[in-house]
Amino acid sequence: MTGPDSHGLARALDAAESRLDHCVHCGFCLPACPTYVRLGDEADSPRGRLHLMRAVAEGRLEPAAPAFQDHLDRCLGCRACETVCPSGVEYGYLLERARAVARGSSPPDRATRLLLALVARPVLFRPWMALSRILRATGLPRLLLRRLPAGGVAGQLRFGLAMLEASGPARRVGRAAAPSTPPATPPPSPPTSVPTPAPAIGPRVGILTGCVQEGLFRRVNDATRRVLAVNGFQVVEVPGQGCCGALHAHAGELERARGMARRNIAAFEAAGVEEVAVNAAGCGSAMKEYGELLEEDPEWRDRARAFSARVRDVSEVVAGEGRTPVQGAPLPLAVVYDPPCHLLHAQKVEEPPLRMLAAVPGLRVLHPRDGEGCCGGAGIYALTHPELGGRIGGDKAKAIRECGASLVATGNPGCAMQIGAMLRLGDGGVDDAPEVCHPLELLDESYRRADLGATSDGSGVTPGRS
Amino acid sequence: VEEIRRVVGPGAVITAPDRLLVYESDGLTQYRVPPSGVVLPGNEDELRRVLRLLAEAGLPFVMRGAGTGLSGGALALDGAVVVGTARMNRILAVEPDDRRARVEPGVVNALLSRASLAHGLVYAPDPSSQSACTLGGNVAENSGGPHCLKYGVTSRYVTGLRVILPDGSEAEFGGMGREEEGLDLVGLFVGSEGCFGAASEIEVALVPQPRGVRTLLALFATVESAGVAVTAIMARGLLPAALEIVDRETIRAVEASVFAAGYPTHVGAALVVEFDGLEEGLDEEAELAALLCRESGAEEVRTAATAAERTALWQGRKKAFGAMGRIAPDLLVQDATVPRSRLPQVLARIEEIGRRHGLRVANVFHAGDGNLHPNLLFDRRDPDELARVEAASGEIMEVCIEAGGTITGEHGVGVDKRRYMPRVYGPAVLDRMASVKEAFDPLGRCNPGKVLPDGYGPRWTGGGGAPAEEPDRSPERGTHPRRGSLDALLTRLERELSPGGLDAGGSAPRVLPRDEAEMAAVLRLAAEDGIPVQPVGRGVEGGAGARPEPGVLLLGTDRLTGTVEHAPDDLQVQVAAGVTLDGLAATLAGRGQWLPVDPPGGGRVSVGGVVSTGVAGPLAAGYGRVRDQLLGLTLVDGTGTPLVLGGRVVKNVAGFDLVRLATGARGGLGVVTSVTLRLFPLPARDRTLEREVPQGAALGELRGRILATGLPLAALEAVAVGPASGITALVRLQGSAEAVSAATRILEAATGPWDRALEDDASRARWAALSQGEAGGEILLRLGGLPSRGPERMGALLPLLQATGAGDAALHLGLLDGRLRLSLPAGGGGGASPEQVARLVEDLQGEGTQGSLRVVRWPSPRGDEGFRPPRAPSATDGPRARTRRLEEELLRRFDPRGILPGCRAPDAWRHGWASPTRGGTP
Repeated sequence: MTGPDSHGLARALDAAESRLDHCVHCGFCLPACPTYVRLGDEADSPRGRLHLMRAVAEGRLEPAAPAFQDHLDRCLGCRACETVCPSGVEYGYLLERARAVARGSSPPDRATRLLLALVARPVLFRPWMALSRILRATGLPRLLLRRLPAGGVAGQLRFGLAMLEASGPARRVGRAAAPSTPPATPPPSPPTSVPTPAPAIGPRVGILTGCVQEGLFRRVNDATRRVLAVNGFQVVEVPGQGCCGALHAHAGELERARGMARRNIAAFEAAGVEEVAVNAAGCGSAMKEYGELLEEDPEWRDRARAFSARVRDVSEVVAGEGRTPVQGAPLPLAVVYDPPCHLLHAQKVEEPPLRMLAAVPGLRVLHPRDGEGCCGGAGIYALTHPELGGRIGGDKAKAIRECGASLVATGNPGCAMQIGAMLRLGDGGVDDAPEVCHPLELLDESYRRADLGATSDGSGVTPGRS
Repeated sequence: VEEIRRVVGPGAVITAPDRLLVYESDGLTQYRVPPSGVVLPGNEDELRRVLRLLAEAGLPFVMRGAGTGLSGGALALDGAVVVGTARMNRILAVEPDDRRARVEPGVVNALLSRASLAHGLVYAPDPSSQSACTLGGNVAENSGGPHCLKYGVTSRYVTGLRVILPDGSEAEFGGMGREEEGLDLVGLFVGSEGCFGAASEIEVALVPQPRGVRTLLALFATVESAGVAVTAIMARGLLPAALEIVDRETIRAVEASVFAAGYPTHVGAALVVEFDGLEEGLDEEAELAALLCRESGAEEVRTAATAAERTALWQGRKKAFGAMGRIAPDLLVQDATVPRSRLPQVLARIEEIGRRHGLRVANVFHAGDGNLHPNLLFDRRDPDELARVEAASGEIMEVCIEAGGTITGEHGVGVDKRRYMPRVYGPAVLDRMASVKEAFDPLGRCNPGKVLPDGYGPRWTGGGGAPAEEPDRSPERGTHPRRGSLDALLTRLERELSPGGLDAGGSAPRVLPRDEAEMAAVLRLAAEDGIPVQPVGRGVEGGAGARPEPGVLLLGTDRLTGTVEHAPDDLQVQVAAGVTLDGLAATLAGRGQWLPVDPPGGGRVSVGGVVSTGVAGPLAAGYGRVRDQLLGLTLVDGTGTPLVLGGRVVKNVAGFDLVRLATGARGGLGVVTSVTLRLFPLPARDRTLEREVPQGAALGELRGRILATGLPLAALEAVAVGPASGITALVRLQGSAEAVSAATRILEAATGPWDRALEDDASRARWAALSQGEAGGEILLRLGGLPSRGPERMGALLPLLQATGAGDAALHLGLLDGRLRLSLPAGGGGGASPEQVARLVEDLQGEGTQGSLRVVRWPSPRGDEGFRPPRAPSATDGPRARTRRLEEELLRRFDPRGILPGCRAPDAWRHGWASPTRGGTP
C-alpha cells in the first residue's frame, strides 16, 4: 500500500466487498459498456473494473497501480451496466468508492482538480458562467467554429466553443410552424385532458437550480417553474442551495460531495418542500443517492435518506406514475429523444419523459439507434478524455443524424452540451446541425402557445432567451 | 511483442502484469491464471498476422471471446498469450435469400439475431448468456440454450468457417452449398474448445422467426412430479420450444432477491413450457400441455397472454443465476446431461449428495434435454467448504455418468472437467481425440492444458519450436506397399468369421461381419495385410452396383442387424448399422415416433449407410441432416479398433466431436457398426402440395414468395423428370391438423392455389418414390450450391433432360438448401454424351461458385477420353488446399495403413479414375 491514507482506503473497499461479491462474473455488462465495446479490453469493462476493485480489496493490487488508476478513470459512469446486470451489482456506488481509493494514492491531473474546485466555489464559478454567457451571446463561438482547424490545441478550443454554443437555446422550437399551419405530420388523437391550468393546490415542490444549469441553462430552470405551475404544483424558492456534488462524487471526492449534500439537504428541509424537482439527470441521480453517500454519518444518515426519498426527476413530477400532464397547443416538430444515462440507467426513469413529450400534440418523437448508449459527455469526461469521449459522442451524433430530425431533446445539461457539440463538429457542419433542448422546453413552448401559465409564476421570462 | 504491436496498434497489446490481472479468469472464477500477454486484433487480417507471429515465435496462445465460459476454457495456462476477439465484432452480411449470415468471431449472439430480425429471421441457438457471449465462443463450445430442445445446438447452424490454424496458415471448412465436400471439419471444429485454432469468419444458417409463442408456468409440489409432467408432454408427441425446471431452493433464492418473480415459495418445482410456431394450433398445444401438467400433479398452471406476462413467467428461470449471486458469495454452476427419463432419480441423488456435504444445491435445468445445472453455493474464503464443493461436484459427475449421461451438456470440458474425461471415454477414444488435436496442433501451442486429460495429446513444453514428440511420419495413405494377398486374407477371415460371413459369389469377394467384434477382426487383419477395404453397406447406398476395383475386399453390413433399442421416453434409438431405414421406421412407428431422414435410395438404405455417406434428402430442410440427429456411434477404425463415440444424451460437449467427423466420412475413418439417434414424434398430419411451374424465372419467384412467408416447412423441392415434363414444385407440411391447414392457407394466400394436395399416406408415398428416383441413372451427380442460385442452376441443367429422351432422367433441387441431383442414362437415346454432361457441370460448378460436386456414378471407362467424369476445381494452394492437407492428416490417423480409401472420391476411385481432389494414383 502506498500513501498515508492507504489503510483507510482498503477498508473503504473492504466495507463494499459484500457488494463486490454480488458480481458473478457473467459478463452480461460487457456489450452494454461504451468503453468495452470500443476498446475491447476486459479492463475497460464493468466486470474488469470490478475485478480490479476486488483485487485491491483483497490486497493483490496496489491502488496506485496504473491498471486501477487508468481503467477506473476511463469509466464514463453511465451505469448502463446496472440496467443489464442480472445480479443487481451497484456499480455506481462501488465506482465512487473505488475512485476515492484511487484518488487517495494518486491524485487526478491538474485540469480535473481545477475544474472540480471551480464548480465547488460559487465565488469563482458564477463569474465564469457569466463570462461564458456573454461570450455565447456575442455569437463569436459560432463564427470561430467555422474557422478553426480540427486538430491540436485549436481542436480542443474548438470543442470547448462547440459545447458553449450548444448550451444556447434551440431556436427551432420557437420558430416551429404556428399551430394554424397544417402540421407536417397528422396530429395524434385528440387531447384526452382539457388544457386548462390546474389551480396551484398540488404538492409543494422545490427546484434544484444547480450550478451549470443555472449558469448556462437558466431558461430550463425558468421553463421548469412554469411547467410545474401549469400542472398545479406550488413552486417554492429554495434559498441556500448549491451544486449537488455529483461531479465530485463521481470523481471520488466523496468528502467534498458530502459537504455539498449536507448543505442542500438543510436548504430544502428549511424550505419545507414535499418534492424536490431536478431537471438535470446527473444531479437527480446523485441526490437520490445522498442516503448512501451519508450512510456512515450517524447525524445525517436518516435526514439524507428522507431527503433522497423526495427527489424526483422533473419528468417524474409532471408525468410520473399516476400523473397526467396538462396538454398544450400543437407543436408540429420532429424531435429525437435521447435518454440521459443517469436518468435511464441510474434512476431507471424511462417512461415519464416520453409521457411528458406525449403531452405535446403534433410532436413526433424519434428514437436513435443504440439510444440506451452513452453520448460520451459523462460530466466532465468529454473534457478529460477528449479522444474516447469524442469517439463515443461521434457515434451518438451519427445515430441522431440518421433519424433525420433537426431537434434533439435530452434531460441533462452535460449531455445537451456534448451532443450539441458533437453534432456541430461532425459531418454536416455547424449550421444545419440538429439543435438540442430539454424535453421540458418543448412542453413549455406548447403551453406558451396555448396561453397557459404565462403569468402563473410571474417570472416573466419568455422562452428561447436566457 | 514489437512486431505484434505494429500489426494491431499499441493500445491493443497488453503486457503489464497489473493490466493482465483482469484476464486471469473467464466466467468460472475458481481458476485464476494471468496470461503472459493479451492481444486484441481488430480484423481478420490482423488476427492472421498475429497468429503467424506467435507461431514464428513459438508462443502458446488461447482465444477469448467475451469470457463468459463456465469451464475455464479461456484460461491462459502454460504461459499462453490471450488473443481476444472483442474488437472483431462486425456482422459482415445478412443474406435473407440464402437465410445465412457471415460474422466476425467477436459478434455478440443476441446482436446477430437483432440484426436478422429486420428480415424476419433469427439465429436459433440462444445460450442463456446470449446477450454477452460471442459467436466465436459459441463455435468453440458448441453452445446450447433453453430453446435447443426444438431447434438444436450451435453445430446444426454453423455452415462454414474460415479458420486460422495454430501454425498461422488459413483454412476454409464447409460453407453453404459445400456440405458434402470432404470431411465434416465444420462439425469437428464446432465444440473443439479453441484447441484447433481460431475461427476468423463464421457462416451461420438463420431460421424464420416463429410467428406465435405460448408460455405456461406449472407449479408442482415436488421436482419428481414436474419430471413426470415433462415425460408426459414429450410422450404425447408435443415438441415444446423449451421445457425448463427450477427447484425449490432456486425459487426461494429468486423470491428472496430483488428479482422476485412472484413464484410461491412453498412449491417444490416450477416448470416453464413454451411452444412456438404458427399461431394456429398453439392454443391447443398449450392447453394439452396444461392438462398433462395438472394430471401429473401440478397445483397451479399459469399462462401468459402478453409479452410482459411471458417475461414475468420466465423471470424466475432467467434471473436464477443472478439471484444466487446475491445470496452466496460464490457459486459453482455445474453442468451435466442425463437421459431425460432418468431425471427424477438423478435429482434425488444430487439432493442427497448436497445434504451429505452440508452444501446448498439449487437446481436449474433444461428438462427437455436432460441437461442439469446444479448450482453449488459456497464461500471460497472457507477452505473446508471449498473442498466439500469439489468433492460434491465429483460425486454429481459420477451419478450422471452412471445414469448413462455425460459430464457436460453445454459448458464444455475446459480445464475444469479434464479429470472426468477418462470416466466417459476409454483410452482408445481419448487416444484418437489426442491424435486429432495433434493433426491441427502438433506442438500443443493452441489452448494448452484443455479438454484432454493428462497424458493425452501434444503437451506444450515451452520448447523453442521443436515438437514435443515427433509426429507420425508413416507413408501417405494409399501408397503403402501391400504385404499380403487378398486370397490369403480371405482364408484368414474365414477362420475368424461366423458361418455365412464370407460371400465369394459376386464379382468381388464380400465379407459380412455379424457384430462389432467380427468387424474389428476384419479391419485388423486387412490392415495387417494392407488390403484395401470398401464398405458397401446393404448394397444400395451411394454408387452401389458399380464395378469394384480388382483386389478390393467389399464389406457389407447385411448381417449387422442385431439390435434396435428404442427408448421412446427419451426420444432416441440405438440401432445396429445394418438395419434399414424402413425396418427402423416400422419399429419406431409403433410408439408414434420417427427418424426424419430420407436419403436418396429411400428406405432400403441402411442406417449405417446414411450415417457414413451423410447424404441429405428433402427433409433436411425442415429437420436438419442426419448429422444433426446423431447422438453417438460406434466406429471400427482402420486399425480394427472399436471406438465408442458420443453418447446417449441430446446435448453432449464432452471432448472433440468425433461423431460429426465420422458422419459423412464415407468409411474413410472406419466402419460404423452402431448408431444412437435422436427421434421426433410422428406428425399428426402430413400434407404435400404440388404445382407445375413453367421454366425460367417462375421457380425463383415462387421460391421467394414461399420463403417470405417464413412458414416452417418439412421440405421444399423442385423436381423435373423425363424429357417432356416441366418442373414440379412440392411443399411438404407436417404438424397438427390446425397447423397444417393454417400453413396451407398462408401459403396459398402468398402463392395462389396449388394443383394437387396429397394427404398423409399419399404424401409419404410421394416422397418415398422421389427418394427412389435418384437410384436409376447410370450418371449420378450431386451438386451443392447456394440455395438462392438453385432455380437458375436447375434451369441450366434442364436441357440435358430434354436431350436424353429417357423417361427416368431426373433433376431434383432442394429449394431451401440448394442440393441438386442429376440422374441420367449414359448417353442412351441420342442424349448428351458423358463428355457434354461433364463440361456443362464443370461450367456450373467452376471456380468462383460456392458449391460442391460429387460423382456418385459414372459410366465405366472404355479407354475413351470422353468418359472423364466432371471434376470440381481443386485448389493447389490457399485455404482450401490447406483443408485438404488437414483432411489427409486426419484420415491417416484413423487409417494409418491406408486400407480405407473410400472417403475422398469413393466412386470415381472404384472406376479406376484418379480422385478429382487427391490427384494421386488409386
